[in-house]
Amino acid sequence: MRLLNVAAFFFAVASALLLYALNYDTRRLEAELQAKERQADRARSDIAVLKAERSTLARPDRIDELARRLGLGPPRAEQFQHGREVSELSERQGSANGR
Amino acid sequence: MAGDRADFLIGGAGAQHVIRGTGTHAVTGMGQTRRRAEAAVYGVLFSAFAVVGVQLLVLAAGRHSDIALAISEPVAATSFSRPDIVDRNGRLLATDLEAPSIFADPGVVLDRDEVVEKLSTVLPDLNSSELMRALSDRSRRFVWVRRGVSPAIAQKVHDLGLPGVSFRYELKRAYPGGKMAGHALGYVDVDNRGVAGIEKYIDDKVGVDPVHSAVLSNRPPVRLSLDLGVQHALEDELDDAMRRYQPEGAAGAILNIKTGEILASASLPQVDPSWPMQALDDKHIDRMTGGTYELGSVFKTLTLAMAFDEGLAKPDTVLDVRQPLEAGRFTVTDMHPSRRPLTVTEVFTHSSNVGAGMLALEAGPEKLQAFLKKAGILEPMQTEAGTIATPQVPSRWNRATTITASFGHGIAVAPLQFAAAAATLFNGGKTVHPTFLRKFDAGTADGKPVISAATSREMAELMRANVVDKDGTGGKADVPGYRVGGKTGTADIASKGGYTSNAVISSFLAAFPTDDPQYLTFVVLFEPKGIPDTKGHRTGGTNAAPVTGELIARVAAQLGVAPEFATARQ
Repeated sequence: MRLLNVAAFFFAVASALLLYALNYDTRRLEAELQAKERQADRARSDIAVLKAERSTLARPDRIDELARRLGLGPPRAEQFQHGREVSELSERQGSANGR
Repeated sequence: MAGDRADFLIGGAGAQHVIRGTGTHAVTGMGQTRRRAEAAVYGVLFSAFAVVGVQLLVLAAGRHSDIALAISEPVAATSFSRPDIVDRNGRLLATDLEAPSIFADPGVVLDRDEVVEKLSTVLPDLNSSELMRALSDRSRRFVWVRRGVSPAIAQKVHDLGLPGVSFRYELKRAYPGGKMAGHALGYVDVDNRGVAGIEKYIDDKVGVDPVHSAVLSNRPPVRLSLDLGVQHALEDELDDAMRRYQPEGAAGAILNIKTGEILASASLPQVDPSWPMQALDDKHIDRMTGGTYELGSVFKTLTLAMAFDEGLAKPDTVLDVRQPLEAGRFTVTDMHPSRRPLTVTEVFTHSSNVGAGMLALEAGPEKLQAFLKKAGILEPMQTEAGTIATPQVPSRWNRATTITASFGHGIAVAPLQFAAAAATLFNGGKTVHPTFLRKFDAGTADGKPVISAATSREMAELMRANVVDKDGTGGKADVPGYRVGGKTGTADIASKGGYTSNAVISSFLAAFPTDDPQYLTFVVLFEPKGIPDTKGHRTGGTNAAPVTGELIARVAAQLGVAPEFATARQ
């Protein structure tokens, strides 16, 4: 009986200590989680800003102007060739080059 | 005391006697002591458990109170998080960004005059008197100064170091494309709720999330049918037309003929979705959907399609169009009256009002009305960007209204609604509903049949003839390689008691490639001026047609249409 009581006593004390430890651990993890969530929110917000900035930089009206300054323009119909003709052309060029 | 007495008894004289003599009493005393010790141990244990229990209760109560607080707080969201809007290729059109908002606590503000004066230096358009009045009410603890400012402005306000003026982060809608597709996108209010256009559709059908702080939406983006590259090309060409022909406005759309997907839709002057007040100005309305117009001869496509489909005429049927038609108090004539009878194909390519009127009369008012209804011209229409202006149709269909409607007068529709009806004529004859949302099962038109596939084929050939024939009105829309077919429209603008003689709406409806039409373009110029290049003319063939030609030359490749000479060599 005495042994049981002593064991129960130590068990209770151990449980209390464990509970305290878990409690503090939980609080610490909660704080860590909140910090990570804040970090993730920050990252999400940064990504949104970067996406918006990239889209602003890739605006077709901006690219159009820059491309025209480089002498580029929309593709003309005569610039298109059928794929087979392109491969035939490259084969002919290849044989002309002695390959 | 009990313990003291026991010790005394054991240690004192006669203790043996006492012990021996009162053995039972001694055992009883020890038992009591033991019980007391046990009770103490149990007490300690109980206390330990009680303390832990109380701790747990306190912890639980604390958490519970937090939850209760969260629930009992009024669900008055200060803002709404919205999904992104992207074009058909995933390019961003609208997104939420965190933006600082400035607020003041009247209870903490020390010098109202100083606060208002200094804030006005950073925010020149601040309503000083209103802010002064709000700050005077010391019972209030929160007054918005300006919501959704740029980080630079927020920094400047911060640098003023005004006590009682502070910041909180909120979501603000950003449109990276600026004015691009502004009319279709619509706009949001200060709480980030959709008020018009696709933004309102998102609120009504997709969903937005109320938030207390700047929390970005986890919803998947809303994918539109618009193609940013094609949209830019359309807006750029219309902008060019605005400079060249100096119209009051210009509008246009490009539709997938089979699915009704709107690849581009624009109306100039544009609106910037970030500045919604612009949209309230009459000059800035979306002329593709927000107004109805008599569109003129482009309507002949519908009249001729009806005549072919009803078996009333064939492309080579000859009509005597030499005499004008009497339509009530009007006399209908042709712009360039013919001195000989014309085939129906020529009626189309010469854009003969008399010929179209004759075909409509041949069908009769009921058939014309029924056909227009079947094509979707007479009923109200809606897209995700909002309700299209309700068509204005004749209240009574008689001889006069039948004749005038056959060439697009006396009936006014929004250009987008007309474009959707016209798409029906070239896709094999099935109705399409214009949509701003990307369709992933695109391929074939699966609407109700309006005309037969054979009639649809004839219409495409007729459109092509109008561009390639030397007498055709649409020659300037031709783009070598892309088999463009089209029809011009030049409508006098109605005014009090008749039509103005010096203002027109010119338009060009085109389909390409006409051997298997995939896309339809509709360009409308409102009150263009005659210029030396057009020899002073303002007809659709002289202004809207070349704009369409340049537009198609620019977007055909983006839309995946192969030029003819490339496919011919296959």
